[in-house]
Amino acid sequence: MEAVFAVWQRDVIKFFRDKARLLGSFAMPFMFLILFGSGISGAMQAMLGGDSGGGALADFDFVEFMFPGIIGMTVFNTAIFSALSVVQDKEFGYMREILVSPMSRVSIAIGKVLGGTTVAVIQGLMMLVFVPFIGVSISFIMILQLIPTMFLVAFTISAIGLLIASLLKTAQGFQMVIQILLFPMLFLSGALFPLNGLPVWMDIIVKINPLTYSVDMFKDIILDPETMSAPLRQAMGLDIEVFGHVITFLEEAVVVGAIGAVFVVLATIRFSKTEA
Amino acid sequence: MANIVEVNNLKKRYKDLEAVKGVHFAVGESEIFGFLGPNGAGKSTTINMLSTINKPTSGEATINGFHVVSEKNKVRESIGLIFQESTLDEKLTANENLLLHCRFYKVPKEKREERIQEVLEIVDLSDKRKQIVETFSGGMKRRLEIARGLLHYPRVLFLDEPTVGLDPQTRNHIWEYILRLKKKTGITIFLTTHYMDEAEICDRVAVMDHGEVIALDTPDALKTDVGGDIIEIRTADNYQAKTEIESNYHVDVKEADDVLTFQVNRGSEFLVQFVREFSVEILTVNLRRPTLNDVFLHLTGREIREETASKKGRGH
Repeated sequence: MEAVFAVWQRDVIKFFRDKARLLGSFAMPFMFLILFGSGISGAMQAMLGGDSGGGALADFDFVEFMFPGIIGMTVFNTAIFSALSVVQDKEFGYMREILVSPMSRVSIAIGKVLGGTTVAVIQGLMMLVFVPFIGVSISFIMILQLIPTMFLVAFTISAIGLLIASLLKTAQGFQMVIQILLFPMLFLSGALFPLNGLPVWMDIIVKINPLTYSVDMFKDIILDPETMSAPLRQAMGLDIEVFGHVITFLEEAVVVGAIGAVFVVLATIRFSKTEA
Repeated sequence: MANIVEVNNLKKRYKDLEAVKGVHFAVGESEIFGFLGPNGAGKSTTINMLSTINKPTSGEATINGFHVVSEKNKVRESIGLIFQESTLDEKLTANENLLLHCRFYKVPKEKREERIQEVLEIVDLSDKRKQIVETFSGGMKRRLEIARGLLHYPRVLFLDEPTVGLDPQTRNHIWEYILRLKKKTGITIFLTTHYMDEAEICDRVAVMDHGEVIALDTPDALKTDVGGDIIEIRTADNYQAKTEIESNYHVDVKEADDVLTFQVNRGSEFLVQFVREFSVEILTVNLRRPTLNDVFLHLTGREIREETASKKGRGH
């Protein structure tokens, strides 16, 4: 337990110390949300309902739609890149200090995953500073719902990150693998645009992408789909169907959690084989 | 004196290379034990096996009574390790690095503060405690690593080339700290080096070459084995001189960097007569006591430095 805490603590201390990274983490979401989102929002509205409005889709606000996706993206990015520290520790030697200590490899792996998870949750919560600028309203209850959801998502993604990091020796290699994974997972998750009318092969990718369910959970919490009309929900792609069944929030949580459980086991096994 | 490290026919084989070919030795409690040899002699591989980093191919080793394969964690608790390359987290402060180490090694909470102060004092870094390690000089980082390696009160401190990459002055300081440490705590120190002068501080030295321990004794005894004093001469015609010395005095002459080296008993008296009698023109002459470098030369016919500087290597 002490070991898990020590490994975790190190990652958290370093997260808060790295001011440049902290600040830089706002750059991507800002660009997507404000520059890209606001820009495309007008065009989308024109296409969906026309300026003069009316119709069921007049309420479609693209920036609002994107916001939960951006939170998902931030959590995803932070969690997966937190595993970069594992590769860097190998490169800069600190991994030896860790591996020659009497700590069990399992505790080290768990500590690393929890470290990445914590950092990603904090980073995700920091995205709420954009709330006043985009016109969504966030209640205290929502934040209480968001934190455990973020934790679950971040845990799963951190475990995937650790598995990748355990397989690789250099930071460059790691970054390349992540870039290749990052964009398809992001584009096919519904984070940046609604996933409607996709070709079958793409739809399959969407359904096996853990990020899809993660983003949908954030949307469920923030957008409050209960109050929306059915056509609007449909346009926003909020009803994800798996084998003809509209998946519920709880089911999504179970799916993400299960994927996380599998990967944390794989990552731990793989990490335990690391040679000092 | 009880043996804290015992090594029995330890071997390490990589695919087509036998890095360590069955070494035997034992290290006594509170001893400073040195591994001397050129790069690639198997020093680090041996240390890695003793410190549970690499698994031996065969053979046995125990540290503090614990087996290095079957009782890894007990061994890890019993040793401190200082590697050739830094293993500090440079983004953290000295204090944070030390605190994490305490956690890794389960140093009891109430003892941490006291121990951190104690080890920082040994290496003279008490006033740098709150500084980020990134701002430290190479020597300070090394000292901090030594301090960190002591936090969990190991019985044996392994130092793998602890002064590599440091300037000579800093190197001397590091050795002062190590000696001070030994005096203060009585900890057993196991080090490797390819610097001859550094091996002089050891109580005993194991000379390693090509994966084997080829000699093991106190530095003085090793030097005595070389036999007598060392005479180094440069002459106008080294070839002629070499032939003449070998036939007149029946000694083995070695040539390196234009310098002829040979050993004689009672060097001072010999030299006077030698210079008077010698027919080849002598450019320079030097008489000295043997060093560990001569020991290595005597044992292997090579100098350690040659291999470090260039892989070409002469005389082998």
